[in-house]
Amino acid sequence: MLFNSLEFAIFFPVVVILYFVTPYRARTFLVLVASCAFYMAFIPAYLLILALTIGIDYAAGLWLERTTGRPRRALLIVSVVATCAILFVFKYFNFFIDSFVTSARAFGWEVAGPAISIILPIGLSFHTFQSLSYVIEVYYGRQKAERDFITYATYVMFFPQLVAGPIERPQNLLHQFHQIHSFDYERITSGLKRMAWGFFKKLVIADRLALYVNDVYASPQNFNGLQLTIATVFFAYQIYCDFSGYSDIAIGSARVLGFRLMENFRTPYYAASISEFWRRWHISLSTWFRDYVYLPQGGSRVSTPRWFRNLLVTFALSGLWHGANWTYVVWGVLNGVYLIAGIMTNPLRDRGYQLLGIKRNGVVRTFIAVGTTFALTCCGWVIFRAESLSDAWYIFGHFWRGWDINELRTEQFALRQMPAAVLSIVFLEAVQWLHGRRPLPKLIAEYPLAVRWPVYVGFVLAVVLLGVYRQNQFIYFQF
Amino acid sequence: MAIRWNITQIAPSEFTERGTAGPAVAVSQRPAAPRVAAVVAVRRLAAFFLVCVAALYATDRGIDAGLRRIQTSDFGIFNRLVSGHINAEILITGSSRALSHYDSRIIQQATGYETFNIGLNGSQTDMQLAVLKTYLRHNRRPSLLVHNLDSFAFETTHQAAFFPGLYLPYLNEEPLYETLEHIDRNIWKSKQLPLYGYAVEDMNFTWLAGLGGLIGWNPPENRRLGFEPRYTSWTGDFESFKRRNPDGIRFPIEPEGIAVFEALLRLCRELGIPVILVYSPVYHQMRALERNREEVFARLHELAERYGASLWDFGGSPIALDRAYFYNSQHMNADGAARFSEDLAEALVHAEWVKPKTVQPSVPRRHGAFAGTRPFRPADDRQ
Repeated sequence: MLFNSLEFAIFFPVVVILYFVTPYRARTFLVLVASCAFYMAFIPAYLLILALTIGIDYAAGLWLERTTGRPRRALLIVSVVATCAILFVFKYFNFFIDSFVTSARAFGWEVAGPAISIILPIGLSFHTFQSLSYVIEVYYGRQKAERDFITYATYVMFFPQLVAGPIERPQNLLHQFHQIHSFDYERITSGLKRMAWGFFKKLVIADRLALYVNDVYASPQNFNGLQLTIATVFFAYQIYCDFSGYSDIAIGSARVLGFRLMENFRTPYYAASISEFWRRWHISLSTWFRDYVYLPQGGSRVSTPRWFRNLLVTFALSGLWHGANWTYVVWGVLNGVYLIAGIMTNPLRDRGYQLLGIKRNGVVRTFIAVGTTFALTCCGWVIFRAESLSDAWYIFGHFWRGWDINELRTEQFALRQMPAAVLSIVFLEAVQWLHGRRPLPKLIAEYPLAVRWPVYVGFVLAVVLLGVYRQNQFIYFQF
Repeated sequence: MAIRWNITQIAPSEFTERGTAGPAVAVSQRPAAPRVAAVVAVRRLAAFFLVCVAALYATDRGIDAGLRRIQTSDFGIFNRLVSGHINAEILITGSSRALSHYDSRIIQQATGYETFNIGLNGSQTDMQLAVLKTYLRHNRRPSLLVHNLDSFAFETTHQAAFFPGLYLPYLNEEPLYETLEHIDRNIWKSKQLPLYGYAVEDMNFTWLAGLGGLIGWNPPENRRLGFEPRYTSWTGDFESFKRRNPDGIRFPIEPEGIAVFEALLRLCRELGIPVILVYSPVYHQMRALERNREEVFARLHELAERYGASLWDFGGSPIALDRAYFYNSQHMNADGAARFSEDLAEALVHAEWVKPKTVQPSVPRRHGAFAGTRPFRPADDRQ
């Protein structure tokens, strides 16, 4: 079920009402049933895949607690491999086979690889990683194994974050299913406001920009440099608003029910470096890779070449997590290269700024750093969004060619859409900037009801009227 | 229902709006802040929900009302149509080709009969029939119906109407609603759910025009007695079309499309409205790409004969040979429309379909670039 669907508009209030009228003990079960219904709205049969990973990791958690020494480690490996195998079969099997066949052909060896025709279960990468984090945490003794199967299953299947995260750690979420979440007006309205902001990002910004981006990136050869540039900047905002919008709705809807999910984004395009960007972008995934891939390799507490290798490996895997396509791998590696280049050129840049008389924490340096980081991120997004590496290469080579201000529209995106698209981005930035100075919900809360309600109702109307409702899936669902 | 506030309740302050992931255990350590009692809270949420719903309905009705007040452009035409203020003697119907090819002013001046064009952009025969039925519900029957033909005359609308926002204020019109429902079963949502149509179905910000209409704003007028002149030169769309379809295209002949076309002719016969089916000029190079033109025309002739309509093919008009009269293969620009309209008016008079009431001496019969040229006269089936 999509958050931006009429079904969810009915589903969610029903679940909330049922949740608060149900006795405490039965609430977790209710959330599990609701989560199953939510997931089955996509492809019902795929619930079995989730059930399989839940079964494996629930059992693994219990056994891990009882075992010690080598068997404990072996059990962890078995559990991790079994969980990853499911992900591999559904997501990566065809990719690896195709890559193998292509490589073999490059060496003149004609082979035909088997291909399986399956649809990737929605959000598989997310709940796989959430399951893995549970098993690993139990292995390291940082989390007690969950004895109640219903609670564990609900932890993995919790519908607000089931298909696109945030990827929660058991320490943050699991225990919340044992708590009593009472009906709290302030908390509920706070959650609803967060959801409304998420819907604004998704429906008003991301889905409108998607009309332009989809047209241009489907056949970049048909568009001039200006259109390619606009589409790339639009994609930067589309993916941010799409994914952070989803996270806002997830966090907000969980908050309505009384659950606290981790923050997943912190104004990433305000980052002044790529490393800062990754501390602000998809935080739940970045920290997952940091804790379970980067740090176990030694992180930065190793020799410099090994440190750089660790970075590259982590980011390549992060890229591969995003999709079974070389574009994602290259995007991941590129971000690793950005980080390494940033580390290596840091002293040089400092000296350069010093020579130019630009202060370390001054506005000019921040402006240059934020602008450069955004430009580098956009270059990464070209590879991420392009249908193929050759398309990405074409776009890079044509950014500056044939700019024609009279040729802005695309087939799906009439020129009249442009003001709405640009103004919505400006509004987003203005709100984020204001919010950074003083949280807006608190600011609005200071006003009397006669002011607050018209503001809220106006916002709801704006989302309804300015939104694009083409049942667009959230981009991160595919991962 | 009394709500028990207990220690495990999560304090709102812990749900920081921008906060970082907070402490692992989300149990309030602070004394409970003053809270809204549960019953009051539920009431307040319900009240807010009702206010939202009321606002949605009010805005929806306001937009409808605003659009119905517009006096210019497409909505102006529709508003005149549903309020029975057109009452033309010669009525022109059809798709965008009708809309932009038939200069009602020229035809009216040449024949002396009140002429009006209700051509509909991006429409197939099913929508054209729906609009005609709506017209006939509110206006006097025309003395003559000129229906423009397209090669896709036997194709019905699939998925959705081209400009759904145009119909939203008029969903209470039965013929329109029935046809839209046939095209898209979800059209009830546009009728019943507030703002659904404007927000979900329409991508043209029609609601903005509606809000403008409420305060008396009218969009710039682009229609002249319903005719929409297109002041555009050749766009090059045809070249890309040719590249995409090097082997030409076949126009679908759907059984349902034939049925709708028959329904249009039957309706006119039942109401005693004479019909001329006119195939207005198409850029000559396009003809080579139309792989089943003969088949389509055979059907058209057969239906015209069966229902006593006349069929005039302007495909052979010299206009079709001159790219200066077109902006793409299917659509003539304002110059082409002017010349074609003069030819058509002349043919109407010559074939005695209409007896000229008044011939305006101030209006030259062939003016501008066409002065001195001979008008094209299509063969008339009736003769």
